[in-house]
Order: sequence, then C-alpha cells, then structure tokens
Amino acid sequence: MSSRLTTQSTEWIQRDKPFSFSYEGQQVTAFEGDTISSALWANGIKVLGRSFKYHRARGILTLANHDVNALMTDGIDTNIRADVWPVQADMQLTAVNTTGGVIKDRSQFIDKISPLLPVGFYYKAFHTPRRFFPFWEDKIRKAAGLGEVNFNYPRIPKPKQHAHCDVLIIGAGIAGLSAAISVAEQGLSVIIVDENAKAGGSLTYDMATDSVSQLTTLLSAVESYSKIRLITNAYAAGYYADHLVPIVETTGITKVRAKALIVASGAFEQPPVFRNNDLPGVMMGSAAQRLIYRYAVKPFDKGVVVTANDYGYRTALDLLAAGVDVLAVIDMRREGSSSPLVTELKSKQVAVHKASCVYEVIASKQKLGVSEVVICPYDELMAEADTKNKIRLKCDGVAMSAGWAPAAALLYQAGTKMRFDNTVQQFVPAELPEGVFAAGKVNGIFELDQRQLDGQRAAAEALNYLGKSVATVEVKQHQGISPSHAYPVVNHPKGKNFVDFDEDIQVKDFINAAKEGFDNIELMKRFTTVGMGPSQGKHSNMNAIRILARIRDLPVEKIGTTTARPFFHPTPIGHLGGRGFHPHRYTAIHEWHIENGGIMTAAGLWMRPSYYLPAGSQLTAQQAMQQEAMAVRTKAGMIDNSTLGKIEVYGPDAAAFLERVYTGKFAKQKVGQYRIAMLLDEAGVMVDDGLACRLAEDRFYLTTSTTNSAMVYRQLQREVQISGLSVSLANLTGVKAAMTIAGPASADILSQLTTVDLSANAFPTGSVVETKVADVECLLLRVAFVAEQAFEIHLPAAAGLYVWNQLMQAGALFGLMAYGTDAQRLLRLEMGHHLIGHDTDGLTNPFEAHAEPLIAMDKAFFTGQRSLKIIAKKPLNKTLVNFVLDSDFAGDLPNECNLVIDNGDIAGRITSIAYSPYLKRVIGIAFVPPEKRQTGSRFEIRNDAGDLIAATVIQSPTELAKSA
Amino acid sequence: MPLRLLKYAISREHPAPRFFRDCVEPKKTYDVVIIGGGGHGLAAAYYLAKDYGITNVAVLEKGYIGGGNTGRNTTIIRSNYLTPEGVKFYDASVKIYEGLSEELDLNLFYSNRGHFTLAHTESAMRTMRWRAEVNKHVGVESYVVGPEEISKACPQLDISCSGQAPILGALYHAPGSVARHDGVAWGYARGADQLGVEIFQNTEVTRIDVKGGKVCGVQTNNGYISTNKVLSAVAGFTPRITQMVDLQTPIVIHPLQACVTEPMKPWLDTILVSGSLHVYVSQSSRGELVMGSSLDPYEMHSTRSSLDFVEGLTSHITDMFPFLSNVKVVRQWAGMADLTPDFAPIMGKTPIEGFYLDAGWGTWGFKATPISGKTMAETIAKDMAPDLIKSFRLSRFEDYELTGEKGAASVGH
Amino acid sequence: MKLLQCPVNGIRPLSEFSYGGEFRTMPDPDSCTDQQWAAYVHYRSGAPGYKKEWWYHMPSGTWFIAERNTITDKVSRTYLFPKREVAV
Ligand SMILES: Cc1cc2nc3c(=O)[nH]c(=O)nc-3n(C[C@H](O)[C@H](O)[C@H](O)COP(=O)(O)OP(=O)(O)OC[C@H]3O[C@@H](n4cnc5c(N)ncnc54)[C@H](O)[C@@H]3O)c2cc1C
Repeated sequence: MSSRLTTQSTEWIQRDKPFSFSYEGQQVTAFEGDTISSALWANGIKVLGRSFKYHRARGILTLANHDVNALMTDGIDTNIRADVWPVQADMQLTAVNTTGGVIKDRSQFIDKISPLLPVGFYYKAFHTPRRFFPFWEDKIRKAAGLGEVNFNYPRIPKPKQHAHCDVLIIGAGIAGLSAAISVAEQGLSVIIVDENAKAGGSLTYDMATDSVSQLTTLLSAVESYSKIRLITNAYAAGYYADHLVPIVETTGITKVRAKALIVASGAFEQPPVFRNNDLPGVMMGSAAQRLIYRYAVKPFDKGVVVTANDYGYRTALDLLAAGVDVLAVIDMRREGSSSPLVTELKSKQVAVHKASCVYEVIASKQKLGVSEVVICPYDELMAEADTKNKIRLKCDGVAMSAGWAPAAALLYQAGTKMRFDNTVQQFVPAELPEGVFAAGKVNGIFELDQRQLDGQRAAAEALNYLGKSVATVEVKQHQGISPSHAYPVVNHPKGKNFVDFDEDIQVKDFINAAKEGFDNIELMKRFTTVGMGPSQGKHSNMNAIRILARIRDLPVEKIGTTTARPFFHPTPIGHLGGRGFHPHRYTAIHEWHIENGGIMTAAGLWMRPSYYLPAGSQLTAQQAMQQEAMAVRTKAGMIDNSTLGKIEVYGPDAAAFLERVYTGKFAKQKVGQYRIAMLLDEAGVMVDDGLACRLAEDRFYLTTSTTNSAMVYRQLQREVQISGLSVSLANLTGVKAAMTIAGPASADILSQLTTVDLSANAFPTGSVVETKVADVECLLLRVAFVAEQAFEIHLPAAAGLYVWNQLMQAGALFGLMAYGTDAQRLLRLEMGHHLIGHDTDGLTNPFEAHAEPLIAMDKAFFTGQRSLKIIAKKPLNKTLVNFVLDSDFAGDLPNECNLVIDNGDIAGRITSIAYSPYLKRVIGIAFVPPEKRQTGSRFEIRNDAGDLIAATVIQSPTELAKSA
Repeated sequence: MPLRLLKYAISREHPAPRFFRDCVEPKKTYDVVIIGGGGHGLAAAYYLAKDYGITNVAVLEKGYIGGGNTGRNTTIIRSNYLTPEGVKFYDASVKIYEGLSEELDLNLFYSNRGHFTLAHTESAMRTMRWRAEVNKHVGVESYVVGPEEISKACPQLDISCSGQAPILGALYHAPGSVARHDGVAWGYARGADQLGVEIFQNTEVTRIDVKGGKVCGVQTNNGYISTNKVLSAVAGFTPRITQMVDLQTPIVIHPLQACVTEPMKPWLDTILVSGSLHVYVSQSSRGELVMGSSLDPYEMHSTRSSLDFVEGLTSHITDMFPFLSNVKVVRQWAGMADLTPDFAPIMGKTPIEGFYLDAGWGTWGFKATPISGKTMAETIAKDMAPDLIKSFRLSRFEDYELTGEKGAASVGH
Repeated sequence: MKLLQCPVNGIRPLSEFSYGGEFRTMPDPDSCTDQQWAAYVHYRSGAPGYKKEWWYHMPSGTWFIAERNTITDKVSRTYLFPKREVAV
C-alpha cells in the first residue's frame, strides 16, 4: 500500500527517476532523492529495525539522524543509517541485529523477560560461581553489538582536503544562511555546511510562515556571493583547538581552519516519554513534517498529535493537509494553547484536549505498530496521568512535539559555558570562547524572524571580532510560553516509556539507578548507559537530566550536563585515517640494492638491505649473511652506510662545543684524525656514539647512529643555543652518501681509485682525509669497527651510486661483495664491539659498558658528567662482557635476550649472539654480574627450551682469532 | 537467566540498596584521609578497612567517583612486564582481579581474552623475548609466538599490515584481560562503604597542612579535616597535590586519548597491541572496538581531544584491519596520565611524615588497582612499605636506581 | 591541529613542531650537592600553569622558547633563546 502523496512543491524526490530495491527480501520502489527510510515508509513498511537490548520493533522516530532505530546492512556495509542514507537502485537491505528477520526476530522474547534485566543487571549477575562467567559472557557478547562487520570490505582510504576561511558556519538554516550573507556582504570568506541534502534547515519542513519563498530569497542571495561556499550533505564532526573543524562528506574529510566560527546548528526535537512511545508509527512532529514536505510521504493514515508546545498544532495541520485523519491534539500543558491554530483545528473537527497526555500506546498484534492510543488527563507537575478518565482512540500513528534540545555539541567542545534558560527550558550559551559565536535555536532563539536576526547578530559579532566594524544587531529574547516542556514525562506502572531509544532505557531505570546511588548525571549516565549509544544522547540526554533533576528535587541547572565529545555523528575510520602516510627514505644506492637482491628492512625512516639474495640464489638468509661476512674476513665487502647521521660543526668554538656535549676530549685532537664521540643524557645513560673527524681547527665532521641522527642533531642545535658558543651546525645526513669497504683486500681495491697512500703506516686507524675517490670529492677514514682494515667514504649523495659502482667494478677481481646490516652485526661482534641501543638499554651507563676510556672525567664539563660522578660512587650492578660458548657446543643456539641464570636467579641477559663461521664458535655479548667480568669466568645462559648453556667470558673474539 | 535476577522481576520495588551512602558533610577528624575517589583511592580504603580494620577513613573526591582516569581507561590488564619486580607486582594484581567479582559481589566483567604485543621489527622481537624470559622465570604465562599463531587467534588481522609494517611475531600473554572500569571503582566504593568508610563526592582538597614535617590536616571545599595520615591517589592531579606539600617528584602530565567505534557483533576475541603502529585495541562486551594510541606529545593538564590522535590511530588500525574503513568512530576522549621517567609507579612513604603517595600510574595503572590498594593500605597501616613495592619508592630517583622498565621503553598499558 | 608561532617562520601547524620539555636552569655542577643534581636531573615542576618551554620547529631547525599555559594550552609568547651577553 503506497503512502506516497501527490507532488509537494517542496519535495526532494525526483519522480522521473524511479527504481526498485529490496528490504528484508521484499521488492520496494523508490525515487531518486529518497532516503532508505522514506522509501520504505512510502511503501507502507514501518518496521525498520529492532532495538539494541529488547529487540523491540522500531520505525521512524526523528528521520534526522538523531536516533538509530533504523540501522541496516546491504551485505557489504553495516550500520547504515536508513533515515538519512540515500537509497540506491538494487540495494539489498536487511535490518541489523535480528535473528531471523526484522519481523520474526527470534530475539524479541527478550522484551518479555525485560523485568529480569533491571538497570545495570550485568553488574548484578553472571559472576558467581566464577567458572560459569565465560559461558554467560559468551552469550552476552553475542547478544551485544549491532551490525556484523564485513571482513571483505575494501580498504577505501579517503583523501583529506584542507580549507581556510574567515568564518565557518555550522548549519544552513535561516540563522546560518543569514549569517553567511552578512559576513559575505563585508567581503569576508565563508564556508557554510549542513548535514542535510539541501540547505534550509527547518524552512524545508516547517511551513509555519512563507518558508518556501523565504528560503528561495536566502539561497539566491547566498549564491550571488562568490565568497560563500555552501556544502550540503556534510557535517561538522567536532571542534578542535584554534578553530579546526573537520567537515565530513561521503567523499572524505575537509579540515577547515577558520578565523571565526558561527554555530547555527539548531536543535534536536525531543520525545515526550510515555508507555510504548517507541512503537513504529510514533514519531516526532518534525519527522512527520520531513516525511511530508521532503519526501511526499504520508506519516500515517489516522492518528493523534501529542504536544507540549505550539508546534504540535502546526504539525496537526500539516498532517491534515497530507490527508491524515487527525483524531485529536493532546496538549500536555495545563493551560493548553492560545494559538489561533487551535480554532483552526477545531473548525476542522480535530478534538483538542488540554491538560492531557498520551498515557500509553497500545500495540497492534505482534507489537509491530500502533493500534490505539489511551488519552488521560495529565497533571504536568506530578507527571501523573489520571487513569480513571481514559479515552481510547483507534489509530495507526502518533506525532509528538514536546520540545527541543540544542545541537550544542560543537559549542561544548569549544569550551562554551552553558546555562539553563527557564524561559526556553533549554541550555543556552552563557560564555562563548574567543572567536566562537552561536545563533538560532541553539542559542535559544525560536521565532523565525528573530532567528534570522540572530544570524545577522552573530555575523556582526564575528565581523567585529575579525576587525571589521559593523553595527550590532538587536535580537528579541524569547518571550511567553516555552517551546520546550519542562517535564514531558508520563509515569506508567508497566514502564516501557522510553527515554533513550538507542539503549532501551526507560524512566524506571533512572529511578532505580538513583536508588542505587547513581544520582549524579555522570554516574547515572555510566550506570544506565543513557546517551552512550551511537546517537550519543541527541534524543535522550535532555530528558535524562530532567528526570534526574526531578528525582533529586533540584533545578535542572544544578544537575548539569555530561561532557560532549567528538564526534557529532559517528565518523568512518577510513575517512579519519585518510590515505595514511608511511614515509621512507632511500639512500643514493637504493636502486643498486634492489637490483642485486637486497632484502630491505626499515631502520628508522630509512630502508636498508639486511642481506642480499641475488636472483637465482638458493641460500637461506642465514647462509647469505654468513657468506657476506666471510667475504669481509677473507677478501672484501662493502656496505652502504649512507643512513648514518652526518653533521658538520663549524666555528671558532667547534672543539669546545664537542667537549661540552660529548664525553671525550677534542680540543687537542689533530686535524686529520677522528675520535669516538659518545653522547650521554643528563642522567649519565649512553645514548649514542659516532665519530668526530677534525677537518680543520674550526671544523668537525660528526657521524651518529642511523636511528638517532635526527635526535642528536636536534639536541646539538639546542646545545649551541644554550652554550652560547660560536659554532654552527649543518645537517648533512641526507646530503651525503657513505659506504664502508672492509676486509684484507679493501686497501688494494680502494687504492685503484684514490691517490692516498692507504698503508697502515701512512694512514693508520683514526685517520681521516679530504680527498678524491673515483674523482669525486670525499672524506676518507680508516676504521676498524667491522674488520681490522676498513675504509669509510663520505661523499655527495648525488655521486653515491657512481662511486659505489666504481668500487664494485674495481673489486670484482678481488671477490668484493656487498654486505647488509645482518652481516655487519656479526662482523662487529667478531671484533668485540657492542652497539649502543642494541647491547645497551635505556639505563646503561658507560661504567657498565667498559666505556671508561671514552669518558674524560677530568674535563670541566660534559653532558652527563655530574651524574657519572654520583654513579661512580655506587657499586656496579652489572657489566657487559664478550663471551664464547664451549667449542663442543651443539644444540639450539640461545637467542638474544635469553637470561643469564645464577643459582636459579636472573643474573643478566645476553644482548648479542651469533655463530661465527670464521671463528667456528658461538660468540656474543652479555650483561653479567660484575664479579663475573674476569676473562675466563663461566656463567650459564638459559635457552628457549629451558636448558642451561655454559659460556665463558673472553677479552674479545679477536683473541680467539689469533689463537685459532 | 541466573536466578539472582529473579528478585528484580518479582519485586515491585527495585530491591537494591544504595551502593554507597550519600555522605554530605565530613566529620572533623579521621584516622586516614584518602584524596582521590578513583579505583586506587577506593581500593586503598577498602583494604584499610578489610585487612587492617581501619574504618575511620574518608575518601575525598572532587568530582564523582571513578570520574578520573579510572573511568577513561581502556582497561587492559596484564602482567607481562620486563623487570622481575614489575612482573611480580602486576601478577599479584591479576590474581586479585581474577576473584574480585566474587569478592565484591559485583560483576566486573573480568574477561580473560589473551593479549598479543605485536612485533614488527627485529628489535621489538628481542624485547618480546626479553619479557617472555623474565615472565616465565617469575611464573607468568607469556611466550613469543610467530605470525601463524597470531593469525590463528585473530584471523582477521592482516599480518603484513597492508605491507607497511609486517608482523614478525608477538609476545603472547595468556592472562591478558579487560574489565569494566566503572565497576571496579563502584565495587570498591561499595565494599569500603559497607565496612564503614565514608566517601565524599564533590569534595576537593585545596590545601594540606604540614607541621614539623608531619601532616596534620586537609582543607577542602567541604570543610576542614584534621588527620595524621593522608594518601594521595589522584593520578593526573598528583603534581597539584605534591605542590601543596612542597614535595618534588619527576611526574609530568601528558594527555592520553582513546576512542570507541559503534557496536558490532563480536569478532575480535583477543587484545592486540602494536608498538610500531602505536595502536591497541580490544572489543568490549557491548561490541565496540576500544582503541588507544600513544601519549600526546607534550605536557598538558586537560582532557581535550585532538584530531591528530584519531587520524593517526585510524590510519594505523586500517593497516591492521583494512576492512574497518567504513566502521565508525563514535566517541573520543582523553585522560591525564601521570608519567614517570622509568614507566613505573611511585608508591609508599615520602619525606613528609604521614603523607603517602600512590602516583605515577601513567598509562598503566588500571591493572594495578587491586594490588596498589592492598599495598598502600599496608603501607599506611604499618607505616612501612611492603617488599612488593620497595622498588617503586620515590627516593629511587635521587639514588639513581630507576626501575628497569625504562630499559625497554616499550608501549605502556 | 593547533597553531604555534615560530619566532622565525611565523604561525605554523603544531605538526611541524616538536616539544623539548620545560626550560630549566642547570645548577652549577661543581658547587651543587649530589642530591641537588639528582633532583635537577630527575624531578620536574609538574604543576600546571604558565611555563617556559623549549619548542623546535623541525623543518627549519629552530629552537625557541614558548610561554604556555599548560591547562588552557594557550601560548602567550614565543621568542628565540637569548644569546649570552658578550662583554665588550
Ligand atoms: C585513555 C587512557 C587509557 C588507559 N588505559 C589503560 C589500560 O588499558 N590499562 C591500564 O592498566 N591503565 C590504563 N590507563 C591508566 C589508568 O587509567 C590509570 O593509571 C588509573 O586509572 C589511575 O587510577 P587512580 O585511581 O589512581 O586515578 P583516577 O581514576 O584518575 O582517580 C583520581 C581521582 O582523584 C580526584 N582528585 C584529583 N584531585 C583531587 C583533589 N584535590 N581533591 C579530591 N579529589 C581529587 C580526581 O577527580 C579523580 O577522580 C589509561 C589511562 C587513560 C587516560
């Protein structure tokens, strides 16, 4: 049966674009412009969902996304908000959270046993005896939740846009639109957003005045200003510091940074609370109006309007005009209304009952809709119905108007102080934060002409705030009868008078929660879960506050509100996450690594080869790594070290500066030499190390570890400022490439490309020279970190690949191989070197790492020195040692971080371990108790299997090599 | 349905008494005054009364009970710490938690789901092994698992994390659980109240009087109370309280944020934490995904939300679960985390006689609620800290004896 | 995202900055006691209010001082760290 009305001049649907879709297996027709709910309602389908807890049938309540009665899935997406989601051809929809369909939902028995589920019931049961809890928990988990997630849903990262404007206006109702015009008149830029498909706010459904022509005028004015950008179908998701507001559209988020903000977001209509106020067919007056004027759908055939303000009378007339048989208007106010509409209605044979209420709605069979309403005289002060005088009316629908709650979420988030205004029975802004303004219903202004003025007033204030000087605008505060009822609640002994439709919370739940001591608004919210559902209290928080105020016998303002937090509407993860950036840095030699089978791993931001598996290689990772390491020991190997931090320190105080920040001495360091530069934090913990090359009296070239390069550079920059020394820094990390060529043949290979005499006598370890390699200007160092003989080359990144290739060519005959970070780790272990951050941790001090030679305690000052003086007085509790496993060790290799066990207790841990094919022994580094530090001491490691493995402390593995 | 719910169906009057009395005006004096009606303060009050018969106790809460970090946290409970002291301490807490619903006769939904700390790098794998080894040594069930085992427990997880940060393995921690945060506060409040403790909400301590190095009373907006023993259990407000008694601590406050999605049918059975992606997530009994990330990067004494936080978190969560693109975040919020430099709490006595500190709970203190309550109660009752919390003493900083949790600056919670 | 004024580069989004902690004056390491030094290293004045802090503008490598209220997050002013006076 179709409920579609004849063409309405205001309608949003396109009748020339019909199509069909299915709902719960039933074919349904729709027009372009329909939402899912409007199309279903037009087809006479009124059960749009089942409630979260009790599985009660639910239909249209607000049709404005202020409730989640109608949540659906199309098999791909879930929790689709049918009230506002545009229906599309061939959608196959079902309601979420049902067992066996929305009509037959087998879980509806829960409604019957609801007395067993008092407020907070889940705190009260299921936990004894303890062993049964998992059983109950499983049942409760399965019952919870709404839709089912589709694990095949594609990852759709939505792009993010940024926008800037002078004034951002939230809400394109009459207040927002007129504010926009006023701002644009002064030549400032405006972005104005509205969550509806079309601008206009209540002008699109509230026909109290000449809304249509008023809207046309406003919109054409808006259009005439190029500085106004109107975005519909877009909601402001939240307010963040310094006027940042993300605007959410289906296509993605625009982050708007505005100089000022006008919140003209209107108000949410609030339900009066009576028994069965949740049945399909019982809806907000504004929902009925939206159905009629936006979608040309008749809300119901025969019904009543229950009201606590004058809007209900307007709604009744709208219903009549739509062909609804309106039986009565039931006014909850003692005095009823003095509006001329009353006479108009009476003349149309509509009964008007003042001081009355809907005591309850009687459900039709199977509780799928309305069959009757029961009307009683109502004592609005006591919230009690006089049930001795019942009128019963058979009907299929109820429209409700009890008042409004401000859509003030963004105002709250921005830090607005709100006060409760008794003349409008509403929270209104009392103190707005800087640059934030409010206008219209959210500001407690209800008369249409005043809302327009209020928009202009807010615009004027915003303009003045932005430095324009415009005349202020006077607005009449609300006078007379409040648009919202102070307590639109009807008690009923059998309950089911719902306050929160998301969470199935009834009046008695509040009373009982208060009885149990949850009698302040925050505790009550948490105990009853009011406002915690997906609509975040839009239709429930205000009534909850009123009910609590009544329970406590306090004025509403003493109750206060709960904190509003983002988001205004639930916002998709894909929108928020956006494209997601995972920046990586590539060295100049990256391409070569890839072409040669480099297995790349992240090292901080950088990508580095761990080892190489050239095409066709059959080696395991371990074998590949060992082969590379062996090449270094027996022939030559080369590693790309470009990721090292590289900093130039320049100025008359360069040496003094290094002395201040690093532990060692640099003042007397000779040009052409480098020294190890170790950095501590103020607590004396080892943080980083690198080399400090003296290139001139006033110029050093520093290296740092890969992962710490940014941190060290930043720290040094600050030290420059604090110290006041005459020195400047240049960060060359990305500008320079670096490589190390190591192994017995390294000098022979390198000497083909340089004129430097590389012999150990002429160029010993510790030397650095500015020279040319393969005709490229570079810095050449002789180092001994991974091998007795090795050379580190630093050169412009642009030439990195070229020089690398030249060296590779030159080394081909010598068996030069590229090696990765895995081999490097083994090689330095064979040399007995620990790595800061790998072998040390966030508490290790130099004494524990035998780094005394690197710390010049006799210097005047260096970072961490004073702490070391304190630490030096304390007994050492652990120390790093090199160790070797017995030569006959077979078994599973212990892993790094296996513990050192002494007498059944933890005595340390191993920080590095590897089998050295060169030494044919398992070597490693471990923390052991200080008394074990002597060469030859034995200790035990517990491996993963739990076996204890004997190890021996050695001076350095290089000793083993000599003795082998 | 359990029989215990039957009485609600039968009775016309809701047959449940108040959880705690509506205390309005404090007495002139108490044996112990506890500042802070979060889980820690309330638990301490409960154990003072229960274990030591000290019932002349007032808990002063400036807002409503559980309204601080207790009511904002993501409720992950675990004991897979790095140092033996840490593991033993948190393990003791887990043991109490396991029986706490029964003890307090309140269903805290203590839900043992298992906890995976995902490792995306070799160095994270090393730390996992370190923790596993220490845990095993102390008798706590944690071990390193490979990607297959993670997939078995959570088949929906993209092990390659969209190719961005492939998961190499994880530290699996069998006792990992979640619980209802509010329930913990309310349960302890009810337990304490029943034993005679008085709980005052909307009562803020504005001054602490110290004479001759001894505490003698507190000024509140609800009257003056004289007392010789004050426990500060105020988490994110600790620096304000310690300032009142001129006590220096290393604690700084950074906001910690979290968010939840709309409810959906349960699919995520375990608790997942990824240090590299700065994400932790579990699914609540209501069906919401409860998610959190790392700390806000700078000091702030406020609970405002930031967009950066949700943007970063959601981007990373879709690396792990690409299909969540259209699942919606309902709400975000923040708490104020009281951080110490070594990721361990500060507990016990202080240089001021009668002033006891329970602080430095940062991002990890919910799991410690029972054991901190118990050990602080003992500390106050005996004026001596038990061995279990000795390594958390305030003086460790002056002594350069920070706890080893700093060693592996891993993610909190 | 908040905005912050870099004394060199003007107003930039917070994502370009990194926080360097409270600005603190180091006691004289030679004359202070161990306890004073330990307090300097480990203790912080964590109580809320206006604080002088180090901030770093990452793209340009600029360290500067911001005076910020740690409750409201309002920055009252930012300026470069004053260079030590040079006696002439
Ligand atoms: C977002 C977030 C996620 C977290 N996730 C986890 C997690 O997963 N697992 C975990 O173990 N921990 C987690 N934590 C940490 C945990 O929440 C806290 O460490 C713990 O709850 C602290 O409890 P508390 O009782 O000490 O403090 P709170 O619960 O904060 O209670 C302190 C109380 O003191 C009151 N107070 C303050 N000043 C005064 C005064 N002057 N007078 C009177 N009263 C005062 C406050 O109002 C507050 O209610 C998280 C924290 C946050 C913020």
